[in-house]
Amino acid sequence: MAYRILIVDDEIALQRMVGEILAQAGYETDSALSCAQALDRLGAAPPDAVLLDVTLPDGDGFSLLEKLRESRDVPVLFLSARDEDADRLRGLGLGADDYITKPFLPQELLLRLRAVLRRVYPQEEGTVRLGGAEILWGKSLVRRNGETVSLTAKEFALLRKLWDAQGNIVTIDTLCQTLWDGPLVGYENTLMVHIRRLREKIEEDPSHPRYLLTVRGLGYRLAREVRP
Amino acid sequence: MKARGLLKGAGLVAASAVLIVAVILAGILSFVYYNTAAGRVWGVPLRLLSAALVPGEDGYTFTGEELLGEDRWAMLIDEEGQVAWSLRKPDDVPEHYSLTDVASFTRWYLNDYPVQCRIREDGLLVVGAPKGSIWKHDIAMDIQVLLQLPVWFTMLFLLSLLCVLGLAWLVLRRWFRQAQQARDAARSDWINGVSHDIRTPLSVVMGTAAQLENAPDLSPERRRQAGIVRTQSQAIRDLVNDLNLTMRLDCAMQPLRKEFIQPEAFLRQTVADFLNGGLAEGFPLEMDLPAQPLPAIQADPFLLRRAVNNLLTNCVRHNAPGCPISVGARAEGGAVLLWVESGGAAAPSSGPGEPSQLEPDGGAAHGTGLKLVAQIAEAHGGRARFSRGSRFRCELRLPADGRSLS
Repeated sequence: MAYRILIVDDEIALQRMVGEILAQAGYETDSALSCAQALDRLGAAPPDAVLLDVTLPDGDGFSLLEKLRESRDVPVLFLSARDEDADRLRGLGLGADDYITKPFLPQELLLRLRAVLRRVYPQEEGTVRLGGAEILWGKSLVRRNGETVSLTAKEFALLRKLWDAQGNIVTIDTLCQTLWDGPLVGYENTLMVHIRRLREKIEEDPSHPRYLLTVRGLGYRLAREVRP
Repeated sequence: MKARGLLKGAGLVAASAVLIVAVILAGILSFVYYNTAAGRVWGVPLRLLSAALVPGEDGYTFTGEELLGEDRWAMLIDEEGQVAWSLRKPDDVPEHYSLTDVASFTRWYLNDYPVQCRIREDGLLVVGAPKGSIWKHDIAMDIQVLLQLPVWFTMLFLLSLLCVLGLAWLVLRRWFRQAQQARDAARSDWINGVSHDIRTPLSVVMGTAAQLENAPDLSPERRRQAGIVRTQSQAIRDLVNDLNLTMRLDCAMQPLRKEFIQPEAFLRQTVADFLNGGLAEGFPLEMDLPAQPLPAIQADPFLLRRAVNNLLTNCVRHNAPGCPISVGARAEGGAVLLWVESGGAAAPSSGPGEPSQLEPDGGAAHGTGLKLVAQIAEAHGGRARFSRGSRFRCELRLPADGRSLS
């Protein structure tokens, strides 16, 4: 089932563009041009998330969020032209799930919306594929060439962090923070050992990895698609 | 510049001193003229009065009544202390005087009558005025004290002058500061307003261009063109953001939210975010970090990230793909040095005979990006140094423990 997103913005051109971006990404959309319309739409067809502008003709997004929070707990992402720290902190302080500053790239909007939805509506992804390897998240298992190997807790956390980054680079500092909840110092070698073991479980040829890639000097990235 | 400032200061002090002296002299002259013109002269011409009193066989003849005036009286005391002649002498003025009486009234008052005296061959001429009409005071002073007076007066005058100038300076500075703050606030509001208003239309341009760039039904050429629109929109976005922040830093309106930052982790994350944003495709990026951990720095992570991002963007914008970019850090003295270096001269050229060292603001006249880098370094008590020969290099020198670099 597709998530339903309510876009509250008084700029019709922007609203239409955001609607198209979301629709292309497989979301259902609804729209409102003012606070009053937004409250109407919220009552008529409760959305799964709200993209909310701060400046609206009949009030501001902050007050609307406060009103909204009184009755329901729908995730809200601000989409605002106000870029000052004070506004950002106010929005997040009122309980918004994210604060995106205009102008933004469609990809950024989609990634941040997806991250919020994943956090608010957790769904256990059953199985994902990485080339010849099949990862069973629920059971912490990797199945490859008919063989099934289990992932240790650290390997699972490592793989999950890299998978959630959606192909982006994750620095070695972030990985250490995830695994040991502390800074990198002293853990570099241990991290490399975990990476090597993980490669042995998911890669065809661990010495020439195609998925779990090293980005020299920075960290690692998990390529979801490999170009032929 | 310093000598010119000193000269200006000395000129200001001299002009103020002359002005004060001129005002005081003019005041004294006005005072004298005002009272003289109104006939408020306390004394009478005793020499003329004395000449008008002539002894004769039948006693004295006095012809100076007009000179004496209506409200004054006069008497002549002979060598024995006895009044020999008098005109309108009040009843409470005695007829006979001892040596001590004379010594006293010549200096002070005679029975509260202010008097003037003149010695004559035949005695002492005394002219009295009504009680309470004249104030008399005897002045006597040690000669050493008298000689000191000019020095003391000059010192006090200069001190007063300094106080007046200091007060005027404080008032003017406050006034200028308030005026500056009002101008800054107006400028800030204006730039803030413009940047706010430009963001929504820019979102539509950037978003639509990005959609077209990925539209499968468009030809590769059209998609490439949409990519150009998207990239240029991002450049405008960066410019708006930089303009806003540079103005806030200029007017000291940007609060610094300092945290302890580990330089290596910070640089890795900033470079990774830059690469993840797809902004450096085709540019080999190399990290140059020491094996030993660097000391932590105290900095606002948002601002510092912005500075490094601006340097990376600058390298990408002014170089062709394939040009290597290097990012690194090292400890030096009590500071941490962060640098970004690219193979080409990634900064606008300043013309023929250009120096290998860029102007201190990093060529701010050409754009806000590098100026902002310098401002951010300064806001952290550090320095930004730009240099360019065959390679562009910017070094950010930041204090390792949050103290300002000398």
